[in-house]
Amino acid sequence: MDLRAGDSWGMLACLCTVLWHLPAVPALNRTGDPGPGPSIQKTYDLTRYLEHQLRSLAGTYLNYLGPPFNEPDFNPPRLGAETLPRATVDLEVWRSLNDRLRLTQNYEAYSHLLCYLRGLNRQAATAELRRSLAHFCTSLQGLLGSIAGVMAALGYPLPQPLPGTEPTWTPGPAHSDFLQKMDDFWLLKELQTWLWRSAKDFNRLKKKMQPPAAAVTLHLEAHGF
Amino acid sequence: MAVPVPWACCAVLAAAAAVVYAQRHSPHETPHVQYERLGSDVTLPCGTANWDAAVTWRVNGTDLAPDLLNGSQLVLRGLELGHSGLYACFHRDSWHLRHQVLLNVGLPPREPVLSCRSNTYPKGFYCSWHLPTPTYIPNTFNVTVLHGSKIMVCEKDPALKNRCHIRYMHLFSTVKYKVSISVSNALGHNATAITFDEFTIVKPDPPENVVARPVPSNPRRLEVTWQTPSTWPDPESFPLKFFLRYRPLILDQWQHVELSDGTAHTITDAYAGKEYIIQVAAKDNEIGTWSDWSVAAHATPWTEEPRHLTTEAQAPDHGQHHKLPGTPAYHEDL
Repeated sequence: MDLRAGDSWGMLACLCTVLWHLPAVPALNRTGDPGPGPSIQKTYDLTRYLEHQLRSLAGTYLNYLGPPFNEPDFNPPRLGAETLPRATVDLEVWRSLNDRLRLTQNYEAYSHLLCYLRGLNRQAATAELRRSLAHFCTSLQGLLGSIAGVMAALGYPLPQPLPGTEPTWTPGPAHSDFLQKMDDFWLLKELQTWLWRSAKDFNRLKKKMQPPAAAVTLHLEAHGF
Repeated sequence: MAVPVPWACCAVLAAAAAVVYAQRHSPHETPHVQYERLGSDVTLPCGTANWDAAVTWRVNGTDLAPDLLNGSQLVLRGLELGHSGLYACFHRDSWHLRHQVLLNVGLPPREPVLSCRSNTYPKGFYCSWHLPTPTYIPNTFNVTVLHGSKIMVCEKDPALKNRCHIRYMHLFSTVKYKVSISVSNALGHNATAITFDEFTIVKPDPPENVVARPVPSNPRRLEVTWQTPSTWPDPESFPLKFFLRYRPLILDQWQHVELSDGTAHTITDAYAGKEYIIQVAAKDNEIGTWSDWSVAAHATPWTEEPRHLTTEAQAPDHGQHHKLPGTPAYHEDL
């Protein structure tokens, strides 16, 4: 993770290290079990639940930030917020992602987003906002665990951060109030977009995992699909 | 030589006459096009004629009353659409055409109505526009599409002149699209713009080929089938969910069923013997809005055939032979 001066999350103590060291979920015994299908469905359902939850949370938070952030036509240029994981992707690239990469991108994105959200929570002014944010963080943690479960069931290792890129606490230069709010705005926007993308990602995985009538074994590496 | 001289003379005279004729007529051959606002007043001068010149005005070949004239100028007050036409003024005595004006009465454009929709997600979206009230004169439209700061091409629709198409370059974008349109005509100018996120404009076309059939031996069932709209490019990766509504024709209240997948459904609570009207709508599983309702299908549930009572005049039962007098013997009797 590239930390740049002026990026507000670069300054925050990140509990991300906790996430990176999630205990590895032992691979499920595949004989006789229904396969990763049910856990993919569960992950899909979680993205829908989170997307719904985020809608009310974002509305409240943007009102707290005040205008212009809570205006429906607010259309700022995407400046700063460099380290936010971006959901946007070329259509053909997205379509041809293999399962492992698809899952890894989701896992890494939510790991980062959760970390940033926790930073947001620390600064939120009202107790009610902090409560809503904390609740959302817990749900998001659940989604991460669910994705980890799917990856383990499919035999994929959880992504580990490269040594030296672990985010650490570095007190950085003072950040203007407006720029801070812009960062918050983009965080919520990116989170919402990722949840929409994940629904599509997991729907795609679900379709591929559907066992054909005869075969029981699931060969999961995509072949240019 | 005596013979060529008169010919040369005629040629020169003819050329001179042609030049004079051209000078007197060519400025007036092509009418001057003029646009004026509905309800306004306009004064049409007779070309370069003096104010006190004796002229007659005609519109589309019909003489105009002299009381509309102010000297040689035609005055029209409170222009109406019916005033549009070809106005010509003639020298009163020689009937020589002095000036022509093609008058078009219209209005400046009001703010256009612009909307965009993606019925082909994730391929792209289209935008269409119209003016809320007519201008009665030609308008030109100019559409620009911005994705953040990047300009995108809006390709004109081959059939509809108030529609253009944009292809998505990236999916799952957090940056909004801004579509602006400007409209102008000879009397004025107007513009509007809309901004939206990629997901909010997704609205599929209605499902196609909705068919409802009775189910044999089931008086309360109707089997409904349909197809995903043919414009939706990738139902595998971007599945649709469906909403079915049905009611007997005699009632106003609809029954609703939401279906998360599949393109068939069996209604099991139909009123026996009543004709039903059934419609289906579609929506992307996660994003956007519901399509319009499909074309309606009609069906009546299966009803048991009533047993017909036969009289002597009707055909005999299949199981019996009736030998009526005078009827020819059947072959099998031979």
